[in-house]
Amino acid sequence: MSQIHVPTENSSIQAQTAQRMRAGTSPDKRSGLMLADAQQVGRTYPTGNGSSSNQVPALVSATCQIMASDRIALVGPSGSGKSTLLHLLGGLDVPTSGTINWPALGGRETLRPSRIAFVFQMPSLIAPLSVVENVEVPLLLGKASADEARAAALDALERIELRSIADKLPEELSGGQAQRVAVARALAYQPALILADEPTGQLDRPTAQHLFDVLLNALAGTPTALVVATHDLQIAERLETMWHMHHGILEVSA
Amino acid sequence: MTLALLWFKGLLARHPARLVGAMFGVALTVALLASIGAFIAGSAASMTKRAIAAVPVDWQIQLNPGTDPQKVVAAITKATAYTALEQVGYADVVSLSATVGGTTQSTGAGKVLGLSPRYRQLFPAQLRPLIGPLDGVLVAQQTAANLHVTLGDSVTIERQGLPTVTVQVAGVADLPNSDSLFQAIGVPPGSAPQAPPDNVLILPAAQWHQLFDPQATAHPDSIYTQLHVQIAHTLPSSPGAAYTYVQALAHNVEAQIAGSATVGDNLAAQLDAARADALYAQVLFLFLGLPGIALGVLLTMAVAASGATRRRLEQALLRTRGTSIAQIIRLASSEALIVGGGGIALGVLLAYLAATFVAPAGAMQSTTSLWWTLAAALTGLVVALVAVLVPAWSQARSNTVASARAIVGRGVTPLWQRIYLDVILLIIAAVVFWRTASTGYQVVLAPEGVAASSVAYETFLAPLCLWLGGALLAMRLWRGGLLRGRAALTALLRPIAHGLAGMVAAALQRQRALITRGVVLVALAFSFAISTAAFNTTYNAQSRVDAQLTNGADVTVTAPAAAGLETRLAQLKALPGAGSVVAMQHRFAYVGNDLQDIFGIDAVHIGAATTMSNAFFGSGNAPATLQALAATPDGVLVAAETVKDFQLMPGDILNLRLQNARDHQYHMIPFHFIGIVREFPTAPKDSFLVANASYIAQQTGSAAAEVILMQAKSDPTALASSARTVVASLSGSKVSDLGTTQRAISSSLTAVDLHGLTQLELLFAVLLVAAATGLIMALGLAERRRIFAVLQALGAKRGQLGAFLWSEGLLILAGGALIGTVIGFGVAQMLVKLLTNVFDPPPEALAIPWTYLVVVAAAAIASTIVAILSAQATARRPVVEALRDI
Repeated sequence: MSQIHVPTENSSIQAQTAQRMRAGTSPDKRSGLMLADAQQVGRTYPTGNGSSSNQVPALVSATCQIMASDRIALVGPSGSGKSTLLHLLGGLDVPTSGTINWPALGGRETLRPSRIAFVFQMPSLIAPLSVVENVEVPLLLGKASADEARAAALDALERIELRSIADKLPEELSGGQAQRVAVARALAYQPALILADEPTGQLDRPTAQHLFDVLLNALAGTPTALVVATHDLQIAERLETMWHMHHGILEVSA
Repeated sequence: MTLALLWFKGLLARHPARLVGAMFGVALTVALLASIGAFIAGSAASMTKRAIAAVPVDWQIQLNPGTDPQKVVAAITKATAYTALEQVGYADVVSLSATVGGTTQSTGAGKVLGLSPRYRQLFPAQLRPLIGPLDGVLVAQQTAANLHVTLGDSVTIERQGLPTVTVQVAGVADLPNSDSLFQAIGVPPGSAPQAPPDNVLILPAAQWHQLFDPQATAHPDSIYTQLHVQIAHTLPSSPGAAYTYVQALAHNVEAQIAGSATVGDNLAAQLDAARADALYAQVLFLFLGLPGIALGVLLTMAVAASGATRRRLEQALLRTRGTSIAQIIRLASSEALIVGGGGIALGVLLAYLAATFVAPAGAMQSTTSLWWTLAAALTGLVVALVAVLVPAWSQARSNTVASARAIVGRGVTPLWQRIYLDVILLIIAAVVFWRTASTGYQVVLAPEGVAASSVAYETFLAPLCLWLGGALLAMRLWRGGLLRGRAALTALLRPIAHGLAGMVAAALQRQRALITRGVVLVALAFSFAISTAAFNTTYNAQSRVDAQLTNGADVTVTAPAAAGLETRLAQLKALPGAGSVVAMQHRFAYVGNDLQDIFGIDAVHIGAATTMSNAFFGSGNAPATLQALAATPDGVLVAAETVKDFQLMPGDILNLRLQNARDHQYHMIPFHFIGIVREFPTAPKDSFLVANASYIAQQTGSAAAEVILMQAKSDPTALASSARTVVASLSGSKVSDLGTTQRAISSSLTAVDLHGLTQLELLFAVLLVAAATGLIMALGLAERRRIFAVLQALGAKRGQLGAFLWSEGLLILAGGALIGTVIGFGVAQMLVKLLTNVFDPPPEALAIPWTYLVVVAAAAIASTIVAILSAQATARRPVVEALRDI
């Protein structure tokens, strides 16, 4: 597998992680670089009437750490707070209680597009852009040059066997293909952390399994950490770690 | 019913902008259409009023010899009410002569009128006192000049077959309407016009009877009597209907008196002329307004289309919950009715306000206007149904969501593009224009004296097809350009989008259907604004030229030769607000036996004081003709008719007889014919001459100037007022200004008050441009929100999101403005050409309304900025909230 060099601040993190892995420290991942550290984080939302006194808790309490190269499944029933936790870990949202830090990644404002990537449940491709252009988006947002972005995007598509559809438009893709492109987009910048929110939620089982195979294969041997929110236990069991969410409370277990 | 109520409540709560936007579009359409109707009705009524007011005597009924006037009066009384009726005696005399200062002047054949003392009160426009009172014996101005007589002098009348009689001059008067006063009654329409007599005396009726009753016995054919009648003006409001009505009244009188008298129907003749103008005005109003109405419809449809994605989702939800297509259609119908009803109410209110503040008084109250309002309301309803119901119906019947999604994609070429509708429309425009040009731009056909009239409405297919064809061609070219010119677009957008330029260009390229729709909508709005403004500015400029032609200049001062007007030239030049001021001679010269006006000018400077249009001269080149005149001291410009009559060739010597100041006799003066003059400031419509003032002064021994032309730097009325004080002490002096003349011209369409309508249209046009440019951002709102949500989730910063919006806004605004400007000026040019006959003289070039263009551009830019900033504001929401749009 070829490595594309995208000159960003993220490169140093990847380099450190890769160095650590080459030094044989990977088996004890928990002692590696800490990408995210959440302490007693909670998130409430105001009710429909907007009153500050009527707050609905989406996430009651979550304490967890994500280390480089982690493969974590976040499972739990719908409405248990999985998406909220992912949003907080990815810096998309701010907790209403507790703290969250990204020791190896920097401040919340610098997380995206280069250090943390998202894969959403819904098709999230930009309709007027072709497949390869969609994959380029985070790279270009991260100020990569057009040539570098194109090379990295094509490489990412190659890694998930979608090179042949690079020029297609999202509306010409199947649901599975669209999600694979979203995965390629997440991989393209070689982020330190990929957060996937029910990425297979709208796919049939064989397609879902295939997508997951592709994702895990692409990440194999890289220091990129992966957290997947899912209620599909077959998917969850393929990851090394499983976290459980119940009624907004996170239970972390090995 | 409950579902419909719920639906409506939901619409109001969730999509008020869409609902109000569509209502606004319908309202604009209804308001414009109803306003145009009000303006058409109002202007027709005011044209009728003006036509009536311009007639000094409605009917001149000429009695056959031996007819009892009382019988005719009885017939008139039976036919119609009247406000004035006077008997006027006309006598042909062999000659008039006068001995003044030891010399005797004689004229040729003349006319002597007998007027009752009440006549000048009842028909005040017929006599204008110049010197002395209006009682007693009056001499017409020209006759007084010919006989060299003034107050107290005696004039000898040589009656036919009777001894001469002498009368004493009590005053000198002008006969402003001598053409109609001395018209030949009963000649068939289209006969050659008869020139009024040069020599006229006016006697009190009693004296006239005393002197000419014996001549009536001796030579009955040399005496005739007319009844001058002013009928009660309770006429239909439109000139056409009024013409028919008045003509029927006159026929009724003629039928009653069975050939013993003939009605000279001046009122019908005047209404006849106004009829064609009214039709022109109607055509003008329609064709200035129609593009605006079309634009209103397009805007409504665009607003409705902006909700297509959401509507599709809502319909999908309803369908999955078991709602039938019929129920969905009923819901959409209720939405269409709400949009239509609200739009119509708002539109009628807007039209009423417009009519109240801008239109002629009472424009909205007439029956014609009411019909227009009803038609406008119906149109509004149809627009609402088409804009809201049809897409809903087609979406409801569409089986796949993807099929309805046409914003992005490689897409099929639209039908119009495949059948080259744009090219076909442009060819139609060219053919219709060419055909109209070949008929001399005869758009309105209202043959004189014939009640039937017609407008060649098909003529206006030319600008309409140019407008539509141009827009479609622009659409084709823009789509093609976006498809193939991504590299150029990327380069163009780099200053705005920086590193994202390529991506933004790609997105815009794929959204070319949407972008092109936006560009064309903006282009149509711009073209409407520009064509209306350019036409309006040209029209106003020509109206000014027309009025200048009649008045002479912004301010014109006239006085008899002896008054010494030229002595006040320096004072007039020094008046505040005076621009260029030049003196001009207005004398008379005999060309053979024909007495013509001759204007002595300063050919070098006259162009600074008043407009010297190319159309005034046979060469079509005013500067060259005036230069040639200045270079030929004894040069003379002659009317085409005279050139034909005398078979003149350039360089020929033309001997004219002009009055010499020393002996008051007409002496022959040689001139060189150098060119043809068609029209000239203050000149009459028939033949006249233009020569160098210095040569006339040298040859006649008098450098007196009878006319001073003044250019006003600001308000002509104020300058005229100052000028009046300067020349107040000069006997017989008169000052007229452009505004007064402009209001007084009633025979020309340029006097039609387009002001109100164009003001309204220009305002609408600015609103439409602002709405169109703003709306482009709303067109793909649902899609754009989704794209923004994804970009935000991927980490796009505010400036990067702005790159998409500003690039799109710039592309649409710049493209729309560019295309719209080209189409707008094209349509305006075509309209001006098609309406050549409206203008007298025709304009040489389009006038550019710079100020208005700046206002339109500013409105478009401001509207685009507001729309982009509003769209950016939606990107400022929390990312988690935006994620719901993915």
